[in-house]
Amino acid sequence: MTSLVNQQPHSEAIGYSFSQSTHAPNKQHSFYPYTDNGGSTLGITGADFAILAGDTRSVAGYNINSRYAPKVFKIGGDDETGEGAHILLSVVGFAADGHALKERLDAVVKMYKYQHGKPMSVRACAQRLSTILYQKRFFPYYVHAILAGLDEEGTGALYSYDPVGSYEREQCRAAGSAASLIMPFLDNQVNFKNQYIPGSGEGHALEPKKAGPLPRSTVEQLVRDAFTSAVERHIEVGDGLQMMVITANGIEEIYTPLKQD
Amino acid sequence: MDKLIAQYTRSSHQNEFYSEQEQHDLTESHPPLSLKFSLPPIDDSRAFLRAMTDDHSNPSCPIKLAHGTTTLAFRFQGGIIVATDSRATAGNWIASQTVKKVIPVSRLSRGEDKPTDAPTPGLLGTMAGGAADCQYWLRYLSQQCTLHEIRHKRRITVAAASKILANLTYGYKGYGLSMGTMLAGMTPQEGPALYYIDSDGTRLPGNLFCVGSGQTFAYGVLDANYRYDLSEEEALELGRRSILAAMHRDAYSGGFINLYHVKEEGWVHHGFNDMNPIFWKTKLEKGEFSNVTSEL
Amino acid sequence: MTGFDFSNYNRNAALHARGVPLPKATSTGTTIVGCIFDNGVVIAADTRATSGPIVADKNCEKLHYIAPKIWCAGAGTAADTEFTTALISSNVELHSLSTGRDPRVITCMTMLKQHLFRYQGHIGAYLVVAGVDPTGVGLFTVHAHGSTDKLPYVTMGSGSLAAMSVFESTWKPNMNREEAVAICAEAIKAGIFNDLGSGSNVDVCVIENDKPTQLLRNYMKPNERGQKERDYRFPKGTTAYLNQKIISKEDMRKYISVEEASGDPNLMEVDS
Repeated sequence: MTSLVNQQPHSEAIGYSFSQSTHAPNKQHSFYPYTDNGGSTLGITGADFAILAGDTRSVAGYNINSRYAPKVFKIGGDDETGEGAHILLSVVGFAADGHALKERLDAVVKMYKYQHGKPMSVRACAQRLSTILYQKRFFPYYVHAILAGLDEEGTGALYSYDPVGSYEREQCRAAGSAASLIMPFLDNQVNFKNQYIPGSGEGHALEPKKAGPLPRSTVEQLVRDAFTSAVERHIEVGDGLQMMVITANGIEEIYTPLKQD
Repeated sequence: MDKLIAQYTRSSHQNEFYSEQEQHDLTESHPPLSLKFSLPPIDDSRAFLRAMTDDHSNPSCPIKLAHGTTTLAFRFQGGIIVATDSRATAGNWIASQTVKKVIPVSRLSRGEDKPTDAPTPGLLGTMAGGAADCQYWLRYLSQQCTLHEIRHKRRITVAAASKILANLTYGYKGYGLSMGTMLAGMTPQEGPALYYIDSDGTRLPGNLFCVGSGQTFAYGVLDANYRYDLSEEEALELGRRSILAAMHRDAYSGGFINLYHVKEEGWVHHGFNDMNPIFWKTKLEKGEFSNVTSEL
Repeated sequence: MTGFDFSNYNRNAALHARGVPLPKATSTGTTIVGCIFDNGVVIAADTRATSGPIVADKNCEKLHYIAPKIWCAGAGTAADTEFTTALISSNVELHSLSTGRDPRVITCMTMLKQHLFRYQGHIGAYLVVAGVDPTGVGLFTVHAHGSTDKLPYVTMGSGSLAAMSVFESTWKPNMNREEAVAICAEAIKAGIFNDLGSGSNVDVCVIENDKPTQLLRNYMKPNERGQKERDYRFPKGTTAYLNQKIISKEDMRKYISVEEASGDPNLMEVDS
């Protein structure tokens, strides 16, 4: 699509593109307000719960800033501990932008409750987060956000965002530096992509394995396995796994140590 | 030099707290889809944005936005067919395979409000280019259309709606918005109407458009088989087949085929179907796509 | 040595100028250390090889053989350390054959620095050279541009600062073998845990006067892979296919010899 907008010949946009524009832009910009703090997050929903998880390492270059810097936050809680919150937000990318975004959304959700006398629905919160991100379309928050909660029917809801606010409700989503390692695993194990029912037919008749909501214990195992695998192969992921499980009874936090190398 | 002085003479704490505007945004019960955007504190904000987000001129840019698409829409005797793929890409990464690239415009006709099989009145917009740009501005357009409905007690024409969007994109010309969208709808004044609007400010009425990185592949099939007097069945199949061709050849398109038919009474959704079984059916049962071998 | 083939150089430079990214070389973003003791020298290394932020090899060997009593620890571009040490190893062997003497560490270090200096840093090998020879114990660092150092304890690679912090706080003169091995392993562990480019296990090599050299591969394994909680074996027939062709054992026997495998035929190779 970029080709359409830039009026470049189409063949330039696809395949192994040689950028023709090297003589003009690509200049060094001295204003660089972002740092990639690494790490990864992951969310999966079930019939009556949603899980948001993230590793707790914060990174700058080859250095570790912190071994416990949470990326998953409670939104709309009554106090600074997040008690009474009913929505979860995870942010990965530039931690300072992520923190600013979390503070902003938290303020919005709280104001909503004070003004309307009822908690903000996850659907409304999801739309509001999108506009908050888009408000900085020309100076983006350098983050990949995931929002989780329970919808009006009580089923798990998960919304994922790009840095400027395009969003979509999904069953599962991995974000951050190890997203390319975790997401294919989730496609296969949660949505059963590329899995068929053995012996269900020949050729066209071979039925794909149907995806449905998974039980909580299975999802927790998948999340832990996804992270222990990502830790093995990605240098920016490690130290600890923070898992937040949201159900009708509230939010439960589970911490699992990860490898520290 | 004056700029430098100006930069360093302003009080260092003036942006410490939420501005009045920001406080207002937080406390207002229904914050509007605002036309005020924060800009980076430098002279050339456009160059900054390009350096950070334009992965075409700078493949290693730090912020990869969701992109890429094939969308098409065409008029025929039975109304308008709108079809899209469902893939979103960020650089070479497939960010999603389940994007809804057909967006119902006008609040009164949003799909989620009434999930029935009956036709839903209202316009359809398509999404190509920056996913966030399309989602945000089509939502903004919905708001304007709804206001129009309330003020004038009749639905907005496609011509007027498309003009709102075109004026908007023209106003932001050069700021780095990226969208190529089609608006389709049927109103008593116009009949079936189809417009193409993009982020350069272009606004074109027409019979047939394909937009996105896979547009050429879709045009190839669509132009070859298009007639105005296509039956409804034929038109739906042509829309589906054109998108399939683009999904097959364009790496930035794929996923599911999203089909819509705009009729006099409103639009009807004709499914969100995985391209894979459709492709193999087309190949093995109709003998098309003979370029792909299934023999060992 | 005939030298490098530069025939693609101009083409690749032109492509790079037009925006094609260069292929990523596997670099051993590494921690390597060395330390002398009363009767010899110890060198040690971690075992992680990376390609950008991805771990390319979890248990690679960064300790290279030069001569029976001269070993090298390598950081930088993996291929460069490997081939440079192999080349110098051969030349050291030839030199020792023609002189009829045991090779000296300083000879090896000089050959390395002259080789690397000739290529002006384009060969990205950063080395710790250590050994014992008739003149005594030798421990050197060699940088990719050709500069060298001679010190009682050395560290190199991306984890060199973390490792050096251990030496600077706990090193003392006249250590014995056990103390030297322990301080080197501790320095490598500091790199493994505090530098993202280093990880996995500790390899140690001890070179002593009048004793055979000991390569202690995986001397410490502080990062064992955990158990997975779920079973990810797929039932037979899970993958869809367009067509199949069955090649029987009898057909294969016409071309190669086939042995019967033992164990459960349903298990995949990775299950062992």
